[in-house]
Parts: sequence; C-alpha cells; structure tokens
Amino acid sequence: MPARWNDFDQIFGAMDLLRNRMGMVNRLFSDFEPQWGLSSSWPAVSNLPRTNLYDADDHLLLKAAVPGLDKDEINIKIQGNYLEMSGSRQEKAPEGYAAHRLERGGETFFSRSLTLPAEIDSTKVEAKLKDGILTLRLPKAESAKTKRITIS
Amino acid sequence: MSDQTEVAKREEQTPAGRMAPTVIPSVDIYENDDEILLFADMPGVAKDAIAINLENGRLTIKAPRLIAGEGELQFEEFGDVEYERVFSVPQGIDTDKVEAVMENGVLSLHLPKSETVKPRQIPVQAG
Repeated sequence: MPARWNDFDQIFGAMDLLRNRMGMVNRLFSDFEPQWGLSSSWPAVSNLPRTNLYDADDHLLLKAAVPGLDKDEINIKIQGNYLEMSGSRQEKAPEGYAAHRLERGGETFFSRSLTLPAEIDSTKVEAKLKDGILTLRLPKAESAKTKRITIS
Repeated sequence: MSDQTEVAKREEQTPAGRMAPTVIPSVDIYENDDEILLFADMPGVAKDAIAINLENGRLTIKAPRLIAGEGELQFEEFGDVEYERVFSVPQGIDTDKVEAVMENGVLSLHLPKSETVKPRQIPVQAG
C-alpha cells in the first residue's frame, strides 16, 4: 500500500464534496458558515470506529477512535483470535437549543469484530481509554509467540 | 507478511518530516437565547494541544492529533492529523466568557451571547 494516505485523501475528498453538496440543504445558519476548502475531511463512512492494529512481537496493540464514549459505554470481548468491540454513545441533544448543524451522528451504536493475526491471552488484556481513543494491549498466547531457536 | 514489513519500514523512513494531513472535525452546533454551543469530535487530541482563537468574527479551532503505535503496523484507519476548522461567528459573542471543555475527545465550546443581542421580552403596558 504505497500511497495509503493519498488513497484516503481521494476517497474522503470525494466524500467531502458530497457532504458539501448535501450541506447546501441544511445551511440554515448562514452567519455560522464554516469555510470549506481545507484539504481533506475524514468523516466517518459508517459509525464503525476507525481502528489501527500493530504487532509488537509479544503483544498486539489495537487503537480505536471512539470520541464521546465513556468507558462504561464500551464492551470488549475476546476469545482466541476473535475480538469484538461494541459501544453506544448515549448523547442527547442539549435541551432547549435549536440545532443548526448536526454532523456528529448523535446517539450512535456500533459493533465491530476483528479476526486478530494471533491468539490472545485474554486474561492479560489491558484496556485504556484516553481522549476518545481506546487502546487495547493484547498479549499473545504462549503458543502464538515467535520463538527464537538458538543453534547449539 | 512481506507487505506488512515494507509498510513498517516506510513509516520509519519518513519520521516527523511527513506533513500530517489537515482534517475538518465533525461538529454539532446548537443555539439558544443565551449562547451558541458547539461540539467537535476530535479523538486523540489532548486538552493542552488544542488552540481556539476568536478574532474579528472568525473562530478557529486547531489541534494536532498524534497516534503513537508500537511494533509493526498491521492496518491503519486513522493516523496523525492536524484538525482545523474555521467558522465565521455572528456579531455579539461575549469573547471574555467563552468556555471550552474537552472530554473523551469531544470539544464542547460555549459561546455566550452578549447582553445586547439577547432577545428581550417587551412587556406591553395597559393603556
């Protein structure tokens, strides 16, 4: 994937155009217009959290963007190399306010499952939530670890 | 496996020099008689990293988001970005009382209206 960022830019650049057009419909609050034309937006294509996965030899590291979710609103299940994340954002519109622009999706629910590249020792998983990013440290099961064999 | 190794190497070859793309954060904007209330999704932004500037009727929200990985990248759906969005703000915001809260990667920005622009109920007096 040599041009990963460019690919994303193209895809979401197109999304942006579309969103701009759709935006024409709900531009009610003309005094509060954002200035479009910044290079690329990255709107959620669906409400699945954007996820990165890294392999650090003895463990996998998963990062998922879950803005607005509290830690009690996220569920994580792991069995072997199967991981399931689900969550719901319990956000209510503030009462007594008129909405001028709604891009964030409001109350949302997601469920995402992944097949991991290694079996996980589910008893040693650590999960942290900071600034809207969920980080899972997933230690590999003994059997899945790479063994270095010393030649005697 | 060989593909993945290559991706990881590529990352190492272009360290801090790679320009993070600019991204427009998604926002909700609400208004009542007292204030304009803006929410912006900016996952991964620490509260100290965010710069909010209100000047000459322009509100600028700007914040870098850095994702620190570890080991070999398997797949990536989000990365380092520079969040930036500019709004033109209506007259009559009390700039001294603007309040910003960052929680779980969501910015809440309260833009209180100054007294002069708040709607006023005019009592009709009996003639």
